[in-house]
Amino acid sequence: MAGLKARRIGGRVLGFVALVLCLELGNLMVWGLGLPVPGTVIGILILLLGLAALRHVPDTLNDVSLWLLGHLNLLYVPAGVGVMGYVALVAQDFWPIVVTLFLSTFLATLASALAFRWAAGKSR
Amino acid sequence: MSYTGFQFMDWVKVGEGAFWLVLTIGLYMVARALQKKSGGNPLVNAVLVAALPIMLLLYLFDVPVAHYALGGSILLWVLGPATVALAIPLYTNFSHVRAAWRPMAVALVAGSVVAVVSSIVIGHLLGASMETVRSLAPKTVTTPIAMGIAREIGGIPELTAAFVIFTGIIGAVSAAFLFRLVGIKDERARGFAFGVAAGGIGTARAFQESLLTGTFSGVGMTLNGIITAIVLPLLWLWFA
Repeated sequence: MAGLKARRIGGRVLGFVALVLCLELGNLMVWGLGLPVPGTVIGILILLLGLAALRHVPDTLNDVSLWLLGHLNLLYVPAGVGVMGYVALVAQDFWPIVVTLFLSTFLATLASALAFRWAAGKSR
Repeated sequence: MSYTGFQFMDWVKVGEGAFWLVLTIGLYMVARALQKKSGGNPLVNAVLVAALPIMLLLYLFDVPVAHYALGGSILLWVLGPATVALAIPLYTNFSHVRAAWRPMAVALVAGSVVAVVSSIVIGHLLGASMETVRSLAPKTVTTPIAMGIAREIGGIPELTAAFVIFTGIIGAVSAAFLFRLVGIKDERARGFAFGVAAGGIGTARAFQESLLTGTFSGVGMTLNGIITAIVLPLLWLWFA
């Protein structure tokens, strides 16, 4: 039982290393080629290509990925706390920020849903 | 100062970092328990519930944010590989993408363009500073990618992170009402819009509606992140 658990943890570590490798390869490409895109996006594309070549998702990678994605909110907390460094700017632009956040989110939600319905109806 | 010997690390800093790290994880666990108790109410957002007490502590004891970052930066670092992991559900759900690629492509372009352009135009018209507008532009994109875009176009990543969280909460709370207003019943359309307009928090809400809605939301969130990350910096170069 203990051996099984150790193997599962070992597998997760291996899966995590694979994710880090994809990310760092992405960062390297962004830096080397001077791409105006975050390294994470290139990392996602590299992993997608890798999975397409493998034609399946290895269990180790699947386990650690679902676990990480299930706890994304924990990883956002420091980013949220970081706002404290910009209180003055937020206070200065408070109402423009609030109005923009609400209106723009309403518009984006409607645009996306209506466009989907329109295109789905057309292709039928 | 002339220390000798055992001085590989600044142990006070390590200790302080560890304290904030453990506190963050502990508060996150409390926040998750609270959210479960509230029946998944999007207003009881785990990020807000965990971040607010920390901010209060830093404020009350006059601790610089840089000290919190000693521990927090570890979690921010893990966010990178965790974002790359988004490729997994995208790959697993590829059959959905292939079956509905045309409406997805149209909805993706419409949603991301409206999100970016409307936030730039509205923010600008209301007189927000350039830094704020640049930080608002990528706000519908999932946090780590949005922070990368903000850095790319001269915004403030930390500010963008906060905007993404509030955008997610606003979208998660209001989307169902908006869908009813214009009569959107297709679960795929609802899910995709949740993901494009409200990112990760929207996706969590979409999974409460149904598995199909949540799946389409996750796909929408990831595709929106990829597309916006590629197009927005180029657009910005073009305008600026």
